[in-house]
Amino acid sequence: MRASRYMIFLYAAMIGVPLLLLIYSILTFAGISAEIVYLRILIAAGLIIYCISAAIEVYSHRRAAAAKGVFPVSKGEEHLDSGRSKGREVKFKVARFDPKDGKMKEYIYAVKADRFTTVLDALLKIKSKQDATLSFRYSCRMGVCGSCGMVINGKPSLACETTVFSAAKGAGEISVQPMRANPLLTGLVTDFDDFFAKHKEVKPTLFRKDETEKLEAKEAYNQDAKETAEYLPYSYCIMCGLCMDACPVVNTNPDFLGPQALSQAYRYHMDSRDEMGDERLTSIDKLTGAWGCEFAGACSRACPKGVDPASAIQLLKADIVKNEAGDIF
Amino acid sequence: MEILDSDILILGTGIAGFTSALHASEASGKLRISMISKLHAMRSHSVAAEGGISGVLYPGTDSKEIHAYDTVKGSDYLADQDAVELLAENAPSEIKFFDHIGVPWNRGDGGKIQQRPFGGMSSPRTAFAADKTGFFMMRALYDEALSRENIGIFHEHFATKLLIINGKSIGAFAFDIATGEEKIFRAKACIIATGGASRTFGFTTTSYSTTGDGTAMAYREGIPLKNMEFVQFHPTGLVPSGILITEAARGEGAYLINAKGERFMADYAKSKMELAPRDIVSRAIITEINKGNGLKEEDSGMEHVLLDLRHLDKNVINVKLPMVKELTMKMLDLDPSKEPIPVRPVAHFTMGGIHTDINGRILMADGKPLAGAWAIGEAGCVSVHGANRLGSNSLSQCSVWGRLAGKAAADYALHYNGNIADERSMMDVASAESARISSMLSSKGTKTPYDIRERLCAEMDKNMYVFRTSEGMAAAEKAVLGLMREFKDIYIEDKGSVYNTNLRDAFETENLLTLAYAIIVSAKPRLESRGAHAMVEYPKRDDSNWLKHTLVYRQGEGYAISYIPVKITRWKPEERRY
Repeated sequence: MRASRYMIFLYAAMIGVPLLLLIYSILTFAGISAEIVYLRILIAAGLIIYCISAAIEVYSHRRAAAAKGVFPVSKGEEHLDSGRSKGREVKFKVARFDPKDGKMKEYIYAVKADRFTTVLDALLKIKSKQDATLSFRYSCRMGVCGSCGMVINGKPSLACETTVFSAAKGAGEISVQPMRANPLLTGLVTDFDDFFAKHKEVKPTLFRKDETEKLEAKEAYNQDAKETAEYLPYSYCIMCGLCMDACPVVNTNPDFLGPQALSQAYRYHMDSRDEMGDERLTSIDKLTGAWGCEFAGACSRACPKGVDPASAIQLLKADIVKNEAGDIF
Repeated sequence: MEILDSDILILGTGIAGFTSALHASEASGKLRISMISKLHAMRSHSVAAEGGISGVLYPGTDSKEIHAYDTVKGSDYLADQDAVELLAENAPSEIKFFDHIGVPWNRGDGGKIQQRPFGGMSSPRTAFAADKTGFFMMRALYDEALSRENIGIFHEHFATKLLIINGKSIGAFAFDIATGEEKIFRAKACIIATGGASRTFGFTTTSYSTTGDGTAMAYREGIPLKNMEFVQFHPTGLVPSGILITEAARGEGAYLINAKGERFMADYAKSKMELAPRDIVSRAIITEINKGNGLKEEDSGMEHVLLDLRHLDKNVINVKLPMVKELTMKMLDLDPSKEPIPVRPVAHFTMGGIHTDINGRILMADGKPLAGAWAIGEAGCVSVHGANRLGSNSLSQCSVWGRLAGKAAADYALHYNGNIADERSMMDVASAESARISSMLSSKGTKTPYDIRERLCAEMDKNMYVFRTSEGMAAAEKAVLGLMREFKDIYIEDKGSVYNTNLRDAFETENLLTLAYAIIVSAKPRLESRGAHAMVEYPKRDDSNWLKHTLVYRQGEGYAISYIPVKITRWKPEERRY
């Protein structure tokens, strides 16, 4: 894990404060009160150091992520003939990656849009009428296939679910960039290989001891509506990658499994039909797993399907601790 | 050119493709299975299936036999009845299979999987996971496939040619969209599960990717396509985008109303009302619009009727139809519990497809199977849906025939003797295909694939929609032939090799032209109205002349049409009343 230089204070405080508290309670227990005043001051100082360094840590992550998000963009082409279709003209600034020289270039297009036009519709209009070399992913255009994630006006969004007017607001201008968390391929297209590998790493499969029964099903497993509700909120993930794009930790530490994979680990972990036991939990009990999350909550805000990966990860941490506590006692 | 060997190649990674892969994988750990998708595998159009999957889970007042009868009646008696019985027999265990791999079925008292009413089904027998059933099934399949070491998934590979040598299927030629690299996927058995072709129409519910690539490739190899004239128009496509508003909305009690606020279905299907089969409801909507009882959406100029959910309990919308609300709120800023939704009939499903036998094996025009080849899901045509599919039968079809074909292909590959094919003939075919791609890339033409595609869709929307006329179909044929000539003058602006979607779009357009033409020439001679094929001049079904499946296949530069009988086992054709 790539730690910033303030991390040393954070860790010192994390270890120091509980240690001091322990000494404090021993001293109190032993009836020694003279040193306690100094200890209280020390503990308070430790807590202040902890808070400040944690804040700096989160801030530096975000700044690094933001810095990564601002691509050095050089000028590309301008296509300002939007055709004669009905509607209001909106200017699109599209930051495209060029695999030939590895640089980002800004292309400018004008598109006529009405109140129904989505950013995806606009990009398709650009591709079909103005510039066929613009590459981007798309398929269902109804927010369920997860193809068209990109950064629209600085916000990780699905192009098919974002109407041009809502994105343009008063400005009459829309900026579009590729997602930042994945390596760039071309245009607005990024490479999902690592993303898929991380998903696979958390064993996102309903595990059953009886494999044959699984495929040759005789009866449905027992699960009531309440048990379904335990994992249902986390099962809406369309694997679009927007939560990963928003996550400050993913953007500074590429090894972090990230909110998508971890939320899916939780989804299968909580399914009452699953018989994997602790294996899935153990596999994510590491700094690049559940413990990598700093609970910035950006993933949950970015998710277009209302999945709350941030809560899933904290619940995973709680279950890991519960398990380990169970092992000790 | 890289040669990738496997035992079974599966083209397409929707519900049918993945189901077949899992069953082949289970048959023997020794089999190597390759799946290729032109998208990321989990993004196939199956994710857009909403309402549910049919299958009688609780026999009693309902039975598999009634499910089969409803399906046959819904098909306007064009379905093969042995195949329909197979579907009804196996569908319930498919629902349980999906329970076993993780689908969060809506459950009722005591954890029983709930079933909801659907169009043309005489009892509630559609299992559902909210109104994202297809999405949940896809995620479960993809996640299950990840745990199987003998399944290899190739994301974003676009197949352009089936490799058929000496009457035997030996795989496919494809290019990696991300890099432009060309690859030969050599395999003992090949399963085509590439989905339907609704993108031949402009106003459609389906994903941009639904371009029937496998079906078009099969046609180019001389494999017959069956019943292509039967294109399902779903009654409730959202205006103006065409996004699907699920039939489950009506299953849960929504009304269709016209501009006067009347529930007009009373005039068309007195007993089933809004839950009549889709062909009947779609014709009713267009008839209402033609009578002047429609409304008009200002910006797009589209005429429509309204789907009214205002009287439904809010909890029903939130728990059983959340996606309807999500879509109308995001796309139209419309709350379905406060305002009715503007809808009109929309191209939705390809009842036709690659000609297969009851087990999904591909058949040639002479009735003999093509060795080592299966076609399943919307790409294949058994035919189990006949002239009109009942809602929620498609997901059961995909998994029933996915299972059959997966097991059959595994069996075929395990008992395979000798070399797959003479390597030289294979390389000849592959090199010729590679040369075709290069020449398309370097072509100095003047037409863009987008312009051709747009005009094709407009033509299909105009002349091959809910009601058809001889004159309109003749005009469509002429127009598509013209567009095919124009396609020879195509120009690819993007010359890059990394993720060249411009090139992919050209191939998709070529496939759409092929399939649109197959739809038109199959429809033209059928001088009757049956299921989804409704002719203005011939409003009645004509069993004495037309109770038969259409086959269309390539012959030289032209095409040939022939007919084969419908398999009728238990239910003699009678008039359809709802």
